[in-house]
Amino acid sequence: MKWLIDFPFEITINKKAIDSAVRAFSVKHDAFFSAITSGLNGLIGGIHSLLNIIPWWLFILAIFFAGWKSTGKLKNGIFFALAITVIGIAGLWALMLETLSIIIAAVIISLFFGLPLGILLAQFDRAEKIARPVLDTMQTMPVFVYLIPALLFFGLGKAPAVIATTIYAIVPVIRLTSLGIRQVDKEVVEAAKAFGSTGVQTLIKVQIPQAKATIMTGVNQTLMMAMAMVVTCSMIGASGLGMEVLMGVQRIEIGRGLIAGIAVVILAIVLDRITQGIAEKGQTNGKQ
Amino acid sequence: MKSITKGSLIFIGLILTLSFFIGCTTEEKKTIIFADPGWDSVQLHNEVAGFIAIHAYGYDSWQQITGTTPITHEGTIKGEIDVHLEEWTDNIASYTADRDAGKLKEMGVNFDDNMQGFYVPRYVIEGDASRGIEASAPNLKTVQDLALYPDVFQDPENKTKGRIYGSIPGWEIDTIMFNKYEYYGLDENFIYFRPGSDAALAAAFTSAIDKGQAIVGYYWEPTWLMGLYDLVLLEDAPYIDEESYMAGKTECPAVVCTTAVSNAFYEKDPAFCNEFVANYKTSSALISEALAYMSNNNASAAETALWLMKTYDNLLDLWLPEDKAALVRQAL
Repeated sequence: MKWLIDFPFEITINKKAIDSAVRAFSVKHDAFFSAITSGLNGLIGGIHSLLNIIPWWLFILAIFFAGWKSTGKLKNGIFFALAITVIGIAGLWALMLETLSIIIAAVIISLFFGLPLGILLAQFDRAEKIARPVLDTMQTMPVFVYLIPALLFFGLGKAPAVIATTIYAIVPVIRLTSLGIRQVDKEVVEAAKAFGSTGVQTLIKVQIPQAKATIMTGVNQTLMMAMAMVVTCSMIGASGLGMEVLMGVQRIEIGRGLIAGIAVVILAIVLDRITQGIAEKGQTNGKQ
Repeated sequence: MKSITKGSLIFIGLILTLSFFIGCTTEEKKTIIFADPGWDSVQLHNEVAGFIAIHAYGYDSWQQITGTTPITHEGTIKGEIDVHLEEWTDNIASYTADRDAGKLKEMGVNFDDNMQGFYVPRYVIEGDASRGIEASAPNLKTVQDLALYPDVFQDPENKTKGRIYGSIPGWEIDTIMFNKYEYYGLDENFIYFRPGSDAALAAAFTSAIDKGQAIVGYYWEPTWLMGLYDLVLLEDAPYIDEESYMAGKTECPAVVCTTAVSNAFYEKDPAFCNEFVANYKTSSALISEALAYMSNNNASAAETALWLMKTYDNLLDLWLPEDKAALVRQAL
């Protein structure tokens, strides 16, 4: 009767072989992965020094204008500028710039690969079917499962953090780009074709502009998911606000963790509202 | 429609009652809860102690609650964890205060002969002919000597500087190692890199050793990494007193790792605490050996615990009263 209750048989999987295969792979192709790592470090370092050159008041001013113009409300611009100022007053300005450089790098890479992939998936039903479980895996695989192997390939620090963030955050931009293009009215596409547009022309001049609002929502979601990875990535040595949270939490210094955590929230909300404002603007323009 | 709602209500009710009764029956089982701050030496201790609890003290089962160093310490104070077999007293800022305030009961010393500090793989200093690695820092002996070799330990994020892997953020030793880094002026051309978690730090070491690259960083005993690889501890000025140690001026004295139990558990089962936990004593060398056995033979912590108790049979006499030791031997 025991086999009715307990699972009757198991296959022993040779997990040790997987370990050694991954490690041997990392040693063998070290040159290749090192090249990627230095490329990523160059990108992150470049963004970081760019952010560092901008004086703080210009940064806050830029946030003010971006908030004002994107949402169309002066009130919002002032609120966002004040919120970012709070981060500076809390003494977390430098850490915020470090975190921002990781997030911006991850979002740039996500868009660079995600937008073309989304457009591609919109064209081919078969590709969409294959991609779906892959995208599901990328979103639900527990991060630590690939975070530690990523260290073997890319070392510790910001480079593996950007890679892990990209794996997680690229999904919404792919999905929503594909969805947005598919949702464009069939009649509009047919009309474009009737006027003699080629496939590429229809895509660039009709489908993508029509799908702009949905695509921007995807960009916004990608940004938010990148923000969500900030603390996780600090566990592989990515410095910035996430590391501050981690150190506060590890030492039960509740105040320190809370203040850094609030800074993450402020940064996320400001970035979210600004990109969402742009997305909504796209929507109203699209309707006209 | 109505009957479906009624049916499902009855069904949910049935399941709830059933799980309630099942819950009640499991409640009666005697379970002991150990702390697992997340590294393998303490998991090994838990396996040993769990085996003894079941076979000599009549427990039905044991389990461990996994958390970080401060979380498991807090858990022991709160009584959610019964027994903590490896309290790293120096890594918990509030340990002495908590103990003196009677928030938990310190039972004894598990081991106090462990080393920690900045380590490099041996091939960095001596080279390794069999792997074709040349010594990249032949004159490296002390922490201070690191200043000569920033380019050997190049930081991939900032190529003009070297990288020293620091301790896990949040551990007390992290502050001390950082002070040391500043005290020796290493901040001039090195970056103190916080690895974020002990898994990440271990991955940094194994990956560098796999590739034969140079690495310098904080590590500690007893760990499987120490048992498995040949690492050299960089020398430092001899220990004088607490103050200069905290300022990073001297070597790290061995950390006293104590065993502690929660107040509630001490009242519940004083025999287990006084007879066993108070006498439970291992050594850093012994545990490193066991952890290396575990890694080499791909053994589980439970198998390694059995191996340890069989190989070092005399330990049972030191840990336990005669009759209880006999019970454990019988079970082995």
